[in-house]
Amino acid sequence: MKQSSESGGHKRPCHDSKTQLVQIGELAPPVYWKSVEDLRGSTHPTGEFPGGLPSSSAATHAATRRDFLAMAGFTLAAAGLAGCRAPVQNAIPLLVGSDEIVPGVANYYATTCRGCASSCSLLVKQRDGRPIKIEGNAESKLFGGGTCATGQATVLSLYDDARLRGPLWHGQPATWDEVDRHVIDSLNRARQEKRRVVLLSQTINSPSTLAILREWRAGDPQFSHVVYEPVSFSALREANAKSFGRAVIPHYRFDRAQVIVGIEADFLGTWLSPVEFARQYASTRKPEGPRSLHVQIESGLSVTGSNADVRMPVPPSQLGPVAAALLRRVARKAGLEGVPGGAEPAVDGAKLDAIADELWKHHGESLVVSGCNDVGVQTIVNALNASLNNIGWTIDLNQPSLQRGGDDAAMAELVAAMNRGEVHTLVMYGVNPAYDYHEASQFLSGLEKVALSVSLSDRRDETSSHAHAVCPDHHFLEAWGDAEPVESHFSLAQPLIAPLFATRAAQESMLRWVSNLSTGNPAPDYYTYLRDFWRKTMFSRQKTFQDANAFWERSLQDGVVELPLPGQHGVPDRRTDRGGWKSAVRAGLEVREQTPPADADRPYELHFYESVALREGRHANNPWLQELPDPISKVTWGNYAAVSPQLAEKLSLRDGDVVKLTTSRSTVELPAFVQPGQEARTVSVAIGYGRSLVGKAGQGVGVNVYPLTSLAGSTRRFSAALKVEQTGRKQSVASTQSHFSMEGRPIVLETSLDDLQSETSANREGSEALPTLWAERLQGEHAWGMAIDMNACTGCSACVVACQAENNVPVVGKDQVERIRIMHWIRIDRYYTGTADAPESVHQPMMCQHCQNAPCETVCPVLATTTSSEGLNQQVYNRCIGTRYCANNCPYKVRRFNWYNYTENTAFDFNMTSPLGRMVLNPDVVVRSRGVMEKCTMCVQRIQLAKNIALQGKRSLADGDIQTACQQSCPTQAIVFGDLKDPNSRVSQLQRNQRHYQVLDELGVRPNVSYLKKVRTRVKNA
Amino acid sequence: MSNKFMVGTFLDSASLIKAVLAVRAHNLRIYDVYSPYPIHDLDLAMGLRRTRLPWVTAVAGTLALSFAITFQFYAAVWDWPLNVGGKPDNSALAFVPICFELTVLISGLATFFALLFRAQLYPGKKERLSTPGITNDRFALVLRTDRVHFDSARALNVLEASGADDVQEMEGDL
Amino acid sequence: MSGSAVTAKVAPGHSPKVETQVLPPPQWVDDDVTLSQITDDIARPLEGRPGKGWWICFAFAFAALLNLGGMVTWLIAKGIGIWGLNNSVGWAFDITNFVFWIGIGHAGTLISAILLLFRQQWRTSINRSAEAMTIFAVMCAGLFPAIHMGRPWDAFFIFPYVPNQRGPLWVNFRSPLVWDVVAISTYFTISLVFWFLGMVPDLATLRDRANAGLKKTIFRILSLGWNGSFRTWARYEMVSLILAGLATPLVLSVHSIVSMDFATSLVPGWHTTIFPPYFVAGAIYSGFGMVLTLLIITRQTMHLERYITMRHLDKMAKVTMLTGMIVSYAYATEFFSAWYTGNLYERYHFINRATGPYAWCFYLMVLCNVITPQLLWLKKIRTSVALLFVVSILVNIGMWFERFVIIVVGLHRAFLPSGWGMFYPTVFDVGILIGSFGLFFTCFLLFIRFLPMIAMWEIKGVSEQSAHQAKTAKTDDREDFRDREVAVNV
Repeated sequence: MKQSSESGGHKRPCHDSKTQLVQIGELAPPVYWKSVEDLRGSTHPTGEFPGGLPSSSAATHAATRRDFLAMAGFTLAAAGLAGCRAPVQNAIPLLVGSDEIVPGVANYYATTCRGCASSCSLLVKQRDGRPIKIEGNAESKLFGGGTCATGQATVLSLYDDARLRGPLWHGQPATWDEVDRHVIDSLNRARQEKRRVVLLSQTINSPSTLAILREWRAGDPQFSHVVYEPVSFSALREANAKSFGRAVIPHYRFDRAQVIVGIEADFLGTWLSPVEFARQYASTRKPEGPRSLHVQIESGLSVTGSNADVRMPVPPSQLGPVAAALLRRVARKAGLEGVPGGAEPAVDGAKLDAIADELWKHHGESLVVSGCNDVGVQTIVNALNASLNNIGWTIDLNQPSLQRGGDDAAMAELVAAMNRGEVHTLVMYGVNPAYDYHEASQFLSGLEKVALSVSLSDRRDETSSHAHAVCPDHHFLEAWGDAEPVESHFSLAQPLIAPLFATRAAQESMLRWVSNLSTGNPAPDYYTYLRDFWRKTMFSRQKTFQDANAFWERSLQDGVVELPLPGQHGVPDRRTDRGGWKSAVRAGLEVREQTPPADADRPYELHFYESVALREGRHANNPWLQELPDPISKVTWGNYAAVSPQLAEKLSLRDGDVVKLTTSRSTVELPAFVQPGQEARTVSVAIGYGRSLVGKAGQGVGVNVYPLTSLAGSTRRFSAALKVEQTGRKQSVASTQSHFSMEGRPIVLETSLDDLQSETSANREGSEALPTLWAERLQGEHAWGMAIDMNACTGCSACVVACQAENNVPVVGKDQVERIRIMHWIRIDRYYTGTADAPESVHQPMMCQHCQNAPCETVCPVLATTTSSEGLNQQVYNRCIGTRYCANNCPYKVRRFNWYNYTENTAFDFNMTSPLGRMVLNPDVVVRSRGVMEKCTMCVQRIQLAKNIALQGKRSLADGDIQTACQQSCPTQAIVFGDLKDPNSRVSQLQRNQRHYQVLDELGVRPNVSYLKKVRTRVKNA
Repeated sequence: MSNKFMVGTFLDSASLIKAVLAVRAHNLRIYDVYSPYPIHDLDLAMGLRRTRLPWVTAVAGTLALSFAITFQFYAAVWDWPLNVGGKPDNSALAFVPICFELTVLISGLATFFALLFRAQLYPGKKERLSTPGITNDRFALVLRTDRVHFDSARALNVLEASGADDVQEMEGDL
Repeated sequence: MSGSAVTAKVAPGHSPKVETQVLPPPQWVDDDVTLSQITDDIARPLEGRPGKGWWICFAFAFAALLNLGGMVTWLIAKGIGIWGLNNSVGWAFDITNFVFWIGIGHAGTLISAILLLFRQQWRTSINRSAEAMTIFAVMCAGLFPAIHMGRPWDAFFIFPYVPNQRGPLWVNFRSPLVWDVVAISTYFTISLVFWFLGMVPDLATLRDRANAGLKKTIFRILSLGWNGSFRTWARYEMVSLILAGLATPLVLSVHSIVSMDFATSLVPGWHTTIFPPYFVAGAIYSGFGMVLTLLIITRQTMHLERYITMRHLDKMAKVTMLTGMIVSYAYATEFFSAWYTGNLYERYHFINRATGPYAWCFYLMVLCNVITPQLLWLKKIRTSVALLFVVSILVNIGMWFERFVIIVVGLHRAFLPSGWGMFYPTVFDVGILIGSFGLFFTCFLLFIRFLPMIAMWEIKGVSEQSAHQAKTAKTDDREDFRDREVAVNV
């Protein structure tokens, strides 16, 4: 049972452990983590390895070495326990109370991510009542087992010091009853006075929550619900309404596309549902089988663009014309008569022809997506897809995505109404307009005119600090919930820990207020409500289960449920019947460009984008994300003005020169960063930075550029005409990679499809093993190895954060990053090939290569690093004296040195400094002290655990029993870990793959990590 | 115990050597010669036997070398062999530097202490000077007078004949 | 060997030997001085009060030493993060200083041991201070490996010791760092013994000059009751010879081993077989540079021109020039082999050395170590104290930068461009470098203040001898003695 929960094979529902959760709750936070220090040293590893350590080791040849490995794992775990484990007296009630919580043994529970509205299904590792690691739920048909960097980091936000400890009334701590009374009074008064009550919320795709809102509306006719997202998809929805009569976001199917054209849509990084799309995308990019062609038309170099086969830098104002030009070409091929000539945009026409050819060649199974929040462009894109009759195949309107619901027009209307004083009560749920609305000042002035403003924010932020009442919401790991990211694809959420503070689930709050409105009787708690709701609505929609409880429990355990569609919507599959597509195309052709192009006064263009780490800015106080290098620029801790090499030359800008960016709306000053591949006349800036009130980690990091965005017609525009001036000042940009060229060294090897086919085993380079001077060493029963598919890796960086969470990697802050002292065990090297204007990029995950002839080991004077009997290059922290000789001698430069004490050191005031923040630490991994070397261990704690579980199960390890943190988090499954001694393991097979090679293998260090060459598709004259 | 000596002091090494030769020619036994610096070939003149200290060096060196070899081999191969960079447990070549250094260290120290022992030198030893200024600019040739058929008159002659600056009888310990 | 002083006494039936020496032997002490004069000249400064010059130098040196103390304390309190090191460049000033100081040490042993073996008499006036310099330099060198560790308090892990609560876990005898530790400590011990042993007779002299009191007691303890017995002298000379014979290969081995810290690694620019001889030559080069600096200072401040003659300086200048040219040759060879082997990374390293961000260090090094020694061809420069002083300073600057270039330029752009980065020194890097000079000069100034900085007994030997040789004809004494033996036995 333990094994199963450990291996994550079977997750268990929490329902019957509600009692048990209460017990955890009794370990009230202060007691819970204050006593950590007291109990330092008092550990019983029996809890850690219930089956004892592998005794089979005695049988093997290299007994001492195997024991050493075992001991190493053992001490790691024991030390970890010593550091972070729950106190014994708190563990007792668990032992009595629950058969499923074994102290020191982790359980995995399915839940749903709330890092963004994509609502990925998760499997969260809970250890001694504390969630400590986010993993993807492999059972989800949409998301697979992957996660994104942001999702991985959300677990740290749970232990954020800046979270509110309880409700506030006028900024002062208050009791819930007090606050509830005020809110309910206000709601009643509003109803009597027939004044507007508005719920201003982020995207809500939780059916049960929406049900609550329906009750609310029933209870109060004046109630209205406005969905606000700083990065809304309004234009897309509006355009779909125009073109197809449905104001929805379709469910895109990249996995069905043979040609993918992305127009300013970073669908592998931030757009709509990156985890899902990355997974789909990777499935079409395999060199085996038909490989899709990916064209990216964008202004700034995005993660998606860096993976494209063909990339066209186009300024924001030209995206429409380019799309239109593409549409004209396709429409002609589609046989539409009288396609107007139209003005050709200032781009390579031949390239467009080639793209159009490719699109038409695969019409019906191609896909054009655009991230422009511009109805015009989206209409053209719809026309393109319609004329290519992709609707119904790669674009599913019948089963649309509910992942983004922002409505810019409604928001603008609301702000106006507020300023007119029409809104009596405003409830704000998961929104922060005072920070991210382009007219923040107007919103705030409106807010003052509201009789009662309630914020459900979990912290004092720019908005909640102005609200009358703050009713802090749970972190999603403390809360029940459900979600419907794509219609009829459900994902359930269950709490992993009793609430740390006196917070209350948003739904709980709403229920109290609503039930009081409708029926005076007391509200059911949200858990009950949710269960009943599911019994009523969902249970009826399925056939498999006869018993509602069984259905509920199973759903909760799996975390994901797929139900048949309630009914067909009026959108026929256009692949069979293309009727009406012509009208859509005509509509597309009639679109006139709206974005004002650059003018004499403002000759350049500004383009805003979401950064992969911080997204729209909600997670600004998460140090893991702040320190996550941008997948492209590798910049941490702050945003910057990305300028093209040409522009940099023209204005003689160098990295770090502060430039003044002036648009018609406002001015900001940002350090410049010369970004190859950036469109020549466009400057790209990330939104989500420059929070003024969020918490110590994120406060004042970067500059807030939301005020520069504007409302164009009914939608919010993320581009503007721009004036760029130098200030002469300099401001450091903390990039983790200073050199972006491979200097012609064989580091990332590429091949093309044709070469791959023509390549015979004879002319494969780098495949023959170099001779070694020494006799082979005796090995244990395993030889751990890893294979990384450079073709699948998109550079999304989820693995970096996953590793950080799993291995207690400290955050070191901007200054240390500038000093090249970042601690990440896995980094993603990004190199450019080709010219600076039109570079091709490659992403290469780089971690300890676990060489069999490891150069680091030979030079260590104290035997602090040696090769284990299972081929792991292991680092013994308590033996290391920190000569750093190993790091000097490591050709991959993957060893990380603790230059200072990064834990409990106020000089590095991040999560490891606060007792609360340290709750995220993984007890199985020792926290390294100052002055020792550390590096990737291939998650040796996971290996040891899996071995023990296998031992207890009296079975031998199976391939896939062990998943390293990076491997588990990878949405595209680019990383494969396994036993090289087992010829059938996936990793062994990959090592026999035609594309297999090893980095720097000419040095004869014989790494256990190997790579698969990246494959490029070339298109004639494109 | 106290002995009787005849101390002839000289002002330069030349006359000292003369005296040494003369004294030995007259078959008188030289107790010892004292000088502020070592005079070349005086050992030959006095007919001293060559010191055996080099043997100490040789023996100590051999022991040190064999110790270094065995210890490294024991530690790296027998006691706890570890896979270090895939290299063989007995990376003999890598053991050479330490073997050499230890040999030098131990044989060097051994020789040093052997000298102190043999020459009866130790910290705080009360110096016994044959004549003041012996460590400055005086040379002294010393004969034992309290021995059977020691002809002090003859000795005196020989010393003075060979240019002794001054000849003294002294009693005590040297 | 030159014969000893015996007044002409050709035995009967003996034809005079052929003159073995045509030229008059070199005079290593200016104008004929009596033995007591020598003693006085050398001992007086120790008995009087030090001059103003000494005090000024000492003030500076001691200030720097205090600074060192403070900064090292801070370093151990905070962690070596206060240095400019980073994940790309794991060693910089720390190991540069270490190699630099070790190199300085080598001249001392060379002069005292190797020149002794070669019977070079000119060593006598400089060997004592050169050996002292060795010991102080090795102390400075030893400082850095200790403080450059992440956890200096665990430095003892590097010694194999029992009992050992970490199980029978020994050290890694394959690691050059372990070789270093053994080599450096051996080197230090043997040098110390050699130095002390050489000082014993002079300490006795001082003892006998001192009137009763603390000073006499201390000298009595140190001089081990030395009384100039010739039986002891005979053993004594033999032991010095043995120690010299041991120290000679030792000094060569020490810097070879230091060079293996780099040569055995695979870092481009480190991974090369030329290092051991190249480093040894460099060490002697820098060592002689430092000896020149020190002797010129002391010579002027302590007025010992009579014993440290221009001829001494001239000899040392020549050695400096020779070793300097060996070093230059090594530079050339490195570039050649990098080009000739065609190794991608090696080639890049050397191009980067000459054109990269640290090129200025490289050219400074070339200026000081390749161009400067060439000046010493000119007698005018070899005989001008001022110019020699300048040259010797340049030599030391050059050699420090040589080590900096090798270490930092090698590391900052190694194999994977993603791991490239720059090293910028912090105030602590520089401060501790200066501090190490403070330690060195404080020790040296105290040495010349309290101990005989010139080996009196050796000077006496040399001067007497040369004096006599000047006036006496040469004969072969051995024969002479044998005749005597015969005569005796008859």
